[in-house]
This record gives sequence, C-alpha cells and structure tokens, in this order.
Amino acid sequence: MSRNLNKIIWIAMIVIVVVGLLALYSASYQNTRVSQKVFFDQLILAVVGLLAILGLSYIDYRKFYDVAYILYIVNIVFLIGIFIFGHYALGAKRWIDFFGLNFQPSELMKFSIILVLARYFSDNKPKIAFHHHGLKADFFSDFLIPLVLVVFPALLVFKQPDLGTALLLFGIFIVVLYASGIAYKYLVGLFGIGLVSVPIFWSFMKAYQKDRLLVFLNPNIDPLGAGYTIIQSKIAVGSGQIFGKGWLSGTQNQLNFLPERHTDFIFSVIGEEWGFIGAVFLIVCFFILIMTSLDLVERTKEKFGYLAGIGIITILTLQTVINIGMVLGLCPIVGLTLPFVSYGRSSFVVFVLMMGFLLSLGRRRTIF
Amino acid sequence: MRFKIIKLIIVSFFLALIAGLFHLQIIKGNEYYELSRYNRIRIVPVEGNRGRILDRNGVVLADTRVSFDAVIISQEIRDKEELFSFLSRTLEVDQDVLLKIFKDRSAAPFVPVVIQEDIDQKKAVVLEENKFRFPGLFVNVGAKREYPFGEIGAHVLGYVSRINQDKVKKFKDYGFSIQDVTGYSGVEEYYDNFLRGQDGGFQVEVNNRGEQVRLLGMREPVKGQDIVLGIDARIQKIAGNLLSDKRGAIVVLDLDTGEVLGMVSAPSFDPNIFTDILKSRKRSRLFLDSSAPMMNRAISGQYPPGSVFKILMALAVLDQKKLSTDKTFLCNGSYPLGRRSFRCSHSHGIQNFTEAIAHSCNVYFYNVGLLLGPESIEEYAYLFGLGIPTNIDLPYEEPGLIPDPNKAFKRSGRSWSKGDTLNFSIGQGDVLATPIQLVNMISTVARDGKEIAPHVMVSIGEAENKELILSRDIDVPKEYFEDVKVGMKAAIGDYAGTAHLLAMNNLLVLGKTGTAQSSQGKRHHSWFVGFCPETNRKIAFCVLLEHGGSSYYACRIAKKLLARMRREKII
Repeated sequence: MSRNLNKIIWIAMIVIVVVGLLALYSASYQNTRVSQKVFFDQLILAVVGLLAILGLSYIDYRKFYDVAYILYIVNIVFLIGIFIFGHYALGAKRWIDFFGLNFQPSELMKFSIILVLARYFSDNKPKIAFHHHGLKADFFSDFLIPLVLVVFPALLVFKQPDLGTALLLFGIFIVVLYASGIAYKYLVGLFGIGLVSVPIFWSFMKAYQKDRLLVFLNPNIDPLGAGYTIIQSKIAVGSGQIFGKGWLSGTQNQLNFLPERHTDFIFSVIGEEWGFIGAVFLIVCFFILIMTSLDLVERTKEKFGYLAGIGIITILTLQTVINIGMVLGLCPIVGLTLPFVSYGRSSFVVFVLMMGFLLSLGRRRTIF
Repeated sequence: MRFKIIKLIIVSFFLALIAGLFHLQIIKGNEYYELSRYNRIRIVPVEGNRGRILDRNGVVLADTRVSFDAVIISQEIRDKEELFSFLSRTLEVDQDVLLKIFKDRSAAPFVPVVIQEDIDQKKAVVLEENKFRFPGLFVNVGAKREYPFGEIGAHVLGYVSRINQDKVKKFKDYGFSIQDVTGYSGVEEYYDNFLRGQDGGFQVEVNNRGEQVRLLGMREPVKGQDIVLGIDARIQKIAGNLLSDKRGAIVVLDLDTGEVLGMVSAPSFDPNIFTDILKSRKRSRLFLDSSAPMMNRAISGQYPPGSVFKILMALAVLDQKKLSTDKTFLCNGSYPLGRRSFRCSHSHGIQNFTEAIAHSCNVYFYNVGLLLGPESIEEYAYLFGLGIPTNIDLPYEEPGLIPDPNKAFKRSGRSWSKGDTLNFSIGQGDVLATPIQLVNMISTVARDGKEIAPHVMVSIGEAENKELILSRDIDVPKEYFEDVKVGMKAAIGDYAGTAHLLAMNNLLVLGKTGTAQSSQGKRHHSWFVGFCPETNRKIAFCVLLEHGGSSYYACRIAKKLLARMRREKII
C-alpha cells in the first residue's frame, strides 16, 4: 500500500520537475536577459536531485532525528555568518559562499526548523492538552521554548531581508504546534499576538517590502515600480486563456515583460504559454503530490516522523499556494519559490532533502 | 479530527488557486489577451529636469531648456522604409544616419527610441501633423542641457550625455529602460546625484494605432537641485581667452575660503556638442585629439614643478634648522658633481636666502638639498600636499608624484644617487605635480601654514557647504613663512627678480616662477604660482603653459590675468 503511495509521489514529482524544465527552457529561449545557462544548470540539478532523493529514501529517516539539533545550530551559525561574510544579490544579503558554492542558509532553515520542532514535540508530550500539571510549567515547555526556537532564526532571516521565508517559518510552527495536539486557546492567543505585532513589523520593514504589500492592495499606486511586476504577470497569465499561446511563443515572456520570470515568476510563463489547461494540470500535480504525502504521513504512527512530515507538507503547500497566488495577484509578492519549478539551487536542494525524508518515511512505515 | 481540518484547508487553498486562474484566464482572458497583443501598456518616461549650475554671482553656467525630440516605437511601425524616408526629408538628415541611430538605441520593441533630439519647433509641428500616417512616430517634449559659455571653463562643468544600451541597468528590474542622461566629468559627474532629477512617467494603454486609450497611472518627475559654484564667470572668461590658443591651465583660488574662483584648461571643448546627435564625429575627434582637449589639465595634468618646488625646499631647510637666512652660497653658474656638472640659469655670484628665492638660483638650492637629504625633502613634499590628491570635488584628479629615494632601485634599476638629490631639490627628475596642488601649496604658505582644501561647490539647493570645508595646520613656525615670503616678494619687487615683470602699481604680488625641463627636445613647461594678500579679495593663482618655454611667458599671462581682473574690479 505504502509502496503505491511512494510510486504516486514519484510520478507527480517527476512530472512537476519536467514541466519546470520546459518552462525554464522557454523563459531563457534566445534571450539576452535570462541566459540559457539557467536551463542547463537546472537540468543538471534536476537529474542529480532526483538521484539524491532516491538515495535518501533508502536511508532511515530516524538519522535526521539524531542530527536535528546539530543541523539547527550549524544553520543558525550560517545565518549569523551571512551578516559578516555574506554577499548581496538583488538587494538582499542572503547568500553565503560555502566551499565555493553559493548557498542560502535561510532556505535550509526551513528544513532544520521542521526537524527541531518535530524532535522537540516528539520528546515532550504536550500536557496542556490533557490538563495534567500546573499550567505555568506546561506553557513554558509546550509553547514558549518552541516559540523561541522559531523566533530567533526567523528574526535573522527577516533581517536579511527575506520576509517570505521568515513568515514561512512561523507557518511551520503554527501547523506543527497544531498537529502536536495543543489546546485551541493557545493557537487563538498566538493569532492574537500575531495581529497585534503587525504594526510593529510594519515599522521594521524595508521600503520595498512595504511597497509590495501596498501595491498588492492596489497595483495602480505605483504602476512603474513595484506594481509593474503584478500588472505584467497578470497580463501574462490572463492572456494565456484556455489553451495558451504555445510553448516558446508567449509574448509577455519572450519580450521580456516579465521580471524574475525564471525564479519567482516562472508560473506566469506556464500560464501564458500553456493556458488554463496547462496551469491547472501543474496545480493538480502539486495537489496530488501533497495529498498523497498527507496520506502517507497519516499512516505514520511514530511521532517524530509524523510531525516532520506535517512540517514538510506545510512548506510544500504554503510555497506552492503563495507562489502561484502572487503570480495571479491573489497574494502580495514575498519572494517565495515554486517547489521544483523555480530556478535556484538552494531552494531545489532543500526540497530534495524534504522529499527524500518523506519517501524514506513511506518505505519504513511498516516497521512501526 | 485535526488531520481532517488540515486536509480541508489544503483543498480549499487549491480550489482558490484554480478559481483565480479561471477568473484571470477564462473570464477576463480575452481582455488580457488584447492587452498583451495589440494594446500594449506603454511607459512614457518623463525626465525630471536636471538642476542648474550657477557661478558665485548667480550667472547660469549650465541650464536645461525645453526641446522637442522625435521618437519611434518600433513595434508599432507599419512601413519602416516609408517612415524613414519621411523622417529623412523632414529632419534633413541622411536616412542611413537615422537608421544607425535607431539600431544603436533600440532596446526592446516596446521601448521608445529617441531618433533625434532637439529638433526645431517647425519640424516638430510637421511631424506632429503627419503622425496619423506613421503609427509609431511621436514627438516628445524633452529637455536639453545648455552651456551658455561654450568652451570657456568647460572642464569644471563637464558635460551630459545619454547612457547607451549597455549601461541601462538601473531601472531594469522595473522594466523602466529610459535612455537616461548622466553627467560625465567635472561638476556634472561629481554632483550627478544632486543635479539629476528623479524620472517619472506615465503608464498608458494605447490602441493599435498608437493612440492613448487611457491613463493607467503616473509618477511625477522631480526636478534636480541647483548647484552654486565658487567660480566667477568673469574670471573664467578672462582666463579662457588668455589661453585660447595655448596649452595649459589657470587656477585662481580664494585665499580666505579655499573656493576655486577660476579654473580653465586649454585646449578646451564645447560641452554643448554632447547633446547633439549630429555632432558625433566632432565628439569622437575630441577623444582622439593628441592635444587631449577633454583632460582638465588643472587637476589631471601632471608636470615637473621645476623651481616652484624651491618654496617648499626653503621652508624645509629653515624648519630643519639646517640653515639661517643670512647664510650665503657662491654660484658660478654650475655645480660640479663627479664628472657631471649641474647647471644654473645664470652665474648668480654670492646669494643669500632671499636672493636665492628671488633669482631662483639652482646652485643655492642644490646646496640646500644636500643639507636636507632626499628623505627629508620627500617628507616635506608630502607635508605640503604634493604626491597626494587635494581631493577637490572634481573627478579624475591625479596625485602627481614624489619619488621615494628608498625605492629608486625598484623603479629605475639603479639606486638613488647624489645627482638625483640635486634634481629633486629643484623640482626636476621624477617629481610631478598638478597645477591645483601647486596653487594649494602656495595658498598654504600665504596663510602661514593653514591648508584649506580647495573646492568648487558652495551650495547645493538650499544647503551651504560649510561644515564640509576641511582645513589643517602645518606645524612650521610662522617666522619661516615670513622669511620665504620676503623672498617671493623680491622675486617680483627686486629689479633682478625672475618675475619682475609682474611688478604693478598698487598691487602687491608674491610668487615663484618655474621653468621645468620636459622630455627630450620639447620646450620647457612654464610656471608662475603666486598670490595677492592685500587685494579686496585675497587670491592665490597659478598659470601653467604646457611646453610654453621659459617662465617669462607664464609671467606675461599672469600679468594680463591680474590686470584684467583688476580692471573688472574682481580683486
């Protein structure tokens, strides 16, 4: 049974990767702004990545339990290191040179935080839910410590500045907390705190981040600046209509109307060239990938694997939905990639780790 | 239970995405398709006007005025040949020239290309009237930079030009590939960020005939700030005319403030031709010309300072207490060293400190140089700002050169000799200095050791440049400055002084001449560096004639400069 689930996940994943490569080929086709190198880079990355997932799926995922805290601490060190050694690209300090390879620690942090939270919650059973002990101690161990575990790296990531990833880390926290069985009133409380802190965060945000949020509410306040991306992206997707303009024939894409179309806005290329049918096809692939993974996780009885699986699915879902949502103008532009489709090494590597973990979970499930 | 809720949320997320897609691609798909197909969104850039450059009395040195540009958007052209033959007839420009301009400036099919700037109003009207026949053709109301003084003082101002396709990177991320105007050299480059306006523009939707259908949004352009310079346009005119057929530079500084009152370099160029497409051949000739008209010799020209260097030697030897002012040396017209003989301009006979400066006696300063030693000379040269840029607020300043005796072997393959010390002592050998450095040095001497960094900018917009004026004190006793000044006074006042030519009624001038040997066979560089401490406006100045011959010629120019400035009541 779980073999079948793994098979479905594999098929969905490979289809998504191939669709991504085709879109990337088109985005860089005979183009001066986006070099063809981008496509070949990603091609190699995809082949190596899929092999790596296969390899990882044979490894016992409990190994990740052992290294969770170490990975977390090393990752934090890298995040701090960025402010000292990192370099700027596209207006933010996110990259760090690691043995000659450019690497974004904030991407890896998503995975580290999942492992750490999963381990933490699988080690301590939440008592709040069962009202066993005094409330104070439980509040501390079930809520405050994991919150601090998330807030610290999230602040570092926010400072880079990378608002999208920072928010994503909180998203993982909330979902894992929820899945660990904590009482609803704490989730409601957390939500309240979140609302109250919005104005505080607002004052810490960079001008361009504010622009992007304001522009989301009304793209026409700055049609030449930040609003330009949203307007052009909507035109690209909308003009694809039902059947699309055909591969390599998107005018918005080929005429350079779309900024960042090989990374965060790759979905607009798919929407324009492959139309509603192609776009829905890709979305359905993601949906199948996510729902199958969820099935797989539901059958896992072991707590660490279960919670980590939930965290991974959270990331997959949020990034897919937010990325496509921002291309369609449904959410603000926060700079999150589309899993397995957007160009970018760090992002790809992290999804390789996550899928490797999930598939390993699928193989070993029967043991427990 | 909780698991079911998670599932439910995921399903609803994906349904929302598909609903969004449905809305965008199927319900509104046609509308967006039209937008992407014919009715492009077009960005019409509106440049923020560049700020003006004014002289100290408010005379305009650089201004921006309204002009009309012929503009083409290539994706809307229907018949390219017909359009270009029409343009060629109307604008009276060769069709090939227009096609080349068009090719060079094209970035993307939807970006407007300025095919011809600043066409006259009549032609603009003709184009506007025929617009309906040629979709893709427009007349833009733009701005043109103008320099009313033309060649005079062009180096201080610099010029502006459009960045070409390669350099448009700034607005790339916003799809805003405006063909931007940027300052090159001079104040235009140094203060570009302040002068430059903030570009704005309209985002409009147009139909397939290129007519505006509706305005989608706009951003107001912002005008750049005006910059007031310490420059006096009258001095620029006088100095520019004096050097009109020569090579060289004149710099005039305000002794009290360090402001540059005048700075010209010759030969010069007309900055107006950089905003005129038709003069591209003239422009390229400027850059190829062997007389380097684009170089600001006042700050980028490096020359051996020759005898001007002796001012510094005289101060150094007094400060080191190696010599008293009544000590004399005998000059026979040359100084023997080994088998070589180092020459002097005349056989001066017995010379004391004051006479040696006034007569510019080499033999005396050979002796001074040997008393000091090369390391000490080097130290004082740096102390008085030679060998390092003055950091004037103009781009491309050169640092000059002060040789390092300890590294001589590295440079030339032979070690430092006594002969090198002798050459060093009279500002020859490897020593190089720029006119601004020498005028800065003599200003420091005139102020008894207080150096004020020379600068051209007085105020930007409303803000005055006050805190930014840097000054420092050189720790040499005042009496030594007085001793040297007596010598520099005698150079003009004394009948046999090297600059006696400059003796004028009711005008006290102090200074030092220099006749610097240049490379083989060429004429000497001619220097005069001096200051007027008793005029209404106290000034220091420097005249350099590149390969101008003996210092006599620089003195002649200096005399005319002072006389005309006095006649116009500037000093």
